[in-house]
Amino acid sequence: MTRTEWLLSEEPASRRQARLGQAYRTWLALKANRLAMVGLGLVLALIAVAILAPWIAPHDPIVGGDLRTDRLLPPSWAHPMGTDDLARDILSRVIHGSRLTLMVVVLVAVIATPIGLAIGTTAGYFGGWVDTVLMRATDIFLAFPRLILALAFVAALGPGIENAIIAIALTSWPPYARLARAETLTIRDSDFINAARLQGASAPRILWGHVTPLCLSSVIVRVTLDMAGIILTAAGLGFLGLGAQPPQPEWGAMIAGGRRFIIDQWWVATMPGLAIFAVSLGFNLLGDGLRDVLDPKARK
Amino acid sequence: MFIRARLLATAAVAAFALTTAPLSAETPPDTFIQAWAIDDMITLDPAEVFEFTASEIIGNSYETIIGYDVNDVSNIFGRVAESWELSEDGRTMSFKVREGKTFASGNDLTAEDVVYSLVRAVKLDKSPAFILGQFGLTPDNVEEKIKQTGDYSFTFEMDKAYAPTFLLYCLTATVASVVDKDLVQSNEADGDWGYNWLKTNYAGSGPFTIREWRANEAVVMERNDNWDGEKPAMARAIYRHIPEAATERLLLEQGDIDIARKLLPEEIEALSQNPDIKIQSGVKGTIFYLGLNQKNENLAKPEVREAMKWLVDYDAIAETLVKGMKKTHQTFLPEGFLGALDETPYSFDPAKAKELLAQAGLPDGFTVTMDTRNTPEVTSIAQAIQQTMAAAGITIEIIPGDGGQTLEKYRARTHDIYIGQWGPDYQDPHTNATFAQNPDNSDDAASKPLAWRNAWDIPELTAKADAAVLERDTEKRAQMYREMQEEVLKTSPFVIMFQESEVVAMRKNVEGYIIGPSFNDNSFRAVTK
Repeated sequence: MTRTEWLLSEEPASRRQARLGQAYRTWLALKANRLAMVGLGLVLALIAVAILAPWIAPHDPIVGGDLRTDRLLPPSWAHPMGTDDLARDILSRVIHGSRLTLMVVVLVAVIATPIGLAIGTTAGYFGGWVDTVLMRATDIFLAFPRLILALAFVAALGPGIENAIIAIALTSWPPYARLARAETLTIRDSDFINAARLQGASAPRILWGHVTPLCLSSVIVRVTLDMAGIILTAAGLGFLGLGAQPPQPEWGAMIAGGRRFIIDQWWVATMPGLAIFAVSLGFNLLGDGLRDVLDPKARK
Repeated sequence: MFIRARLLATAAVAAFALTTAPLSAETPPDTFIQAWAIDDMITLDPAEVFEFTASEIIGNSYETIIGYDVNDVSNIFGRVAESWELSEDGRTMSFKVREGKTFASGNDLTAEDVVYSLVRAVKLDKSPAFILGQFGLTPDNVEEKIKQTGDYSFTFEMDKAYAPTFLLYCLTATVASVVDKDLVQSNEADGDWGYNWLKTNYAGSGPFTIREWRANEAVVMERNDNWDGEKPAMARAIYRHIPEAATERLLLEQGDIDIARKLLPEEIEALSQNPDIKIQSGVKGTIFYLGLNQKNENLAKPEVREAMKWLVDYDAIAETLVKGMKKTHQTFLPEGFLGALDETPYSFDPAKAKELLAQAGLPDGFTVTMDTRNTPEVTSIAQAIQQTMAAAGITIEIIPGDGGQTLEKYRARTHDIYIGQWGPDYQDPHTNATFAQNPDNSDDAASKPLAWRNAWDIPELTAKADAAVLERDTEKRAQMYREMQEEVLKTSPFVIMFQESEVVAMRKNVEGYIIGPSFNDNSFRAVTK
């Protein structure tokens, strides 16, 4: 039996085989979606560039060259993306900026997803006044446009990349809570949950062991699709001067800095813009593909 | 039906004519249109105006008591005043007012109006009132100190025998503009000295009248036919509020405006290639500097203060980031002022700075924060300084904020390094003695000059500054300011870097625009096109 056959076997002999087989099938479905593979490629490229930044960046991202001679140079072989108004190599800044972007995306996902899941499943499982209180709190957060709320948080916490991450995380959990609650409502009265309850399982145990895993796939899809929005919000905060602070090479802040030169030195604002565009597109395509394979109801 | 069809046809022809008209519409020949950011305007009352735009508008529509030659500030002449004489004890100045002047309203301008204007400014006690308050005038005593002595004469009494030039320069400020007493009084409500009315109206005698001010949109001015000077060629002058430099540039290139006032070095550079456009610049008195707070123990070391002065690449910044807008200047009196010292001993020298830091016991440098206003220009200068300071191991953390936030910290002395501008309030050197004067260094001091804001305790220099303002001999006085500048240059916690210029771009056919050293000197009364 080849490995593929073992994975795709209709009669798995062990739990492990069944799980691995399911994962492999998901991967095959995803692989068949070409756009999703493009998205995955872009996201992997972002991760690789972020990890390898100090080795692949040709110049220092913060210390510029000679102001008199190296300032606002158009793209060339020496500086493939040109230089900015402080004579810094834009390619190096975009490469180092990927670390900040990745950091924002990962930390927001790590902070916001558990909050959303916990609140959503708790509200859905217990119902009653717990549900009312938690969901009205969620509604309050949803009532504000995300960027405006993030702006308010950053204004209160003070500008800086860490505070920007906290602000974005605080504003991005409500949709996950809503989603998790809706999923929980559909399964909380299922037989297997009742069976677990009859066996004496505690509420936290049921929530963690039975409800959360079932909500996870739709939340993951939603988080992936939100990544583009998170990147844009971070860039928006940077653009407004409330995210990463100079001289950090944050993409949004770079665009804001290049805005002054947009007519004659187009590359200063365009290059980080292209980076944001590519990475957002990558996450969106990947998220779309993941939804197709992970969401059982949408399966063709 | 027939008429309607004809109307339609006419409309169609008209529409066609409109669409095929050349894209570059010229401004009307008797109207001068300027693009500027006028969002700082809060009032049109000369007793309160202290903002860049509004002072310029007041400068073109009111007349001050004294004036000076914009090309040579030391040349003082009377504008509303015809002559003046100082009393024996040096404490009372008697002025004669020029006869035959009339306001735009048609009322005669007499000593009564002049006295009323000064008393009004002191009584209202708005921000610029301190300029007159320096001479011991308070809302309680002003009526006894400034007295009308005849139809065309009045006296001005001071609490000390100040240098006469000091008083005269202060009377060139917008706060010493003469307002039309009868007109203002007829619009007075509840004893407010006509404050609420004059906020948006006009009662002056200058070359132009202010017809309308629409906040954040436009200011419309019209020629004043009652003005006794040479009649302006322009019947109307309009300021349009266009804060984006790129938009101003496009409008100027299309010919929709005559002059663009808010351009950045990049736009200037690009516009200077355009054959239809010319560039004009004038030196302003504004100083750009770093203030090092002496409450920070590292910055308080004299060697560190000096090292910082060797760690700014003055010329590189002046030639690139702020090309044409600022020039290297290291003394606290701007070029053109009485006693101004034109010395630039410092340049970028990291080796020397390292040596000084080693002497201060900080061979590896230190970390310090810099409060930076988040405008593109200040941010880019701050980052350039951050890079050069790093060459000697000084790590600067930039804390951005808007103008209000950074100033608030600065005024409360809670900053480490402040980067920003200081603009003179009037053309006398005493206005910049704020760099060298700190009568009381305690936190709740009454007077808070720049030296106080940086907690620089300097009893000797303060005494010198106090003496300089009382020195009646002009040459001696200039010498005293030169000595103070030497001292400040060497030891102060101020890294004075640049003096600013105002650069404007205008259509080729515009002639006679004047850029003066202070904002109320910018003048378009002689403009032709």
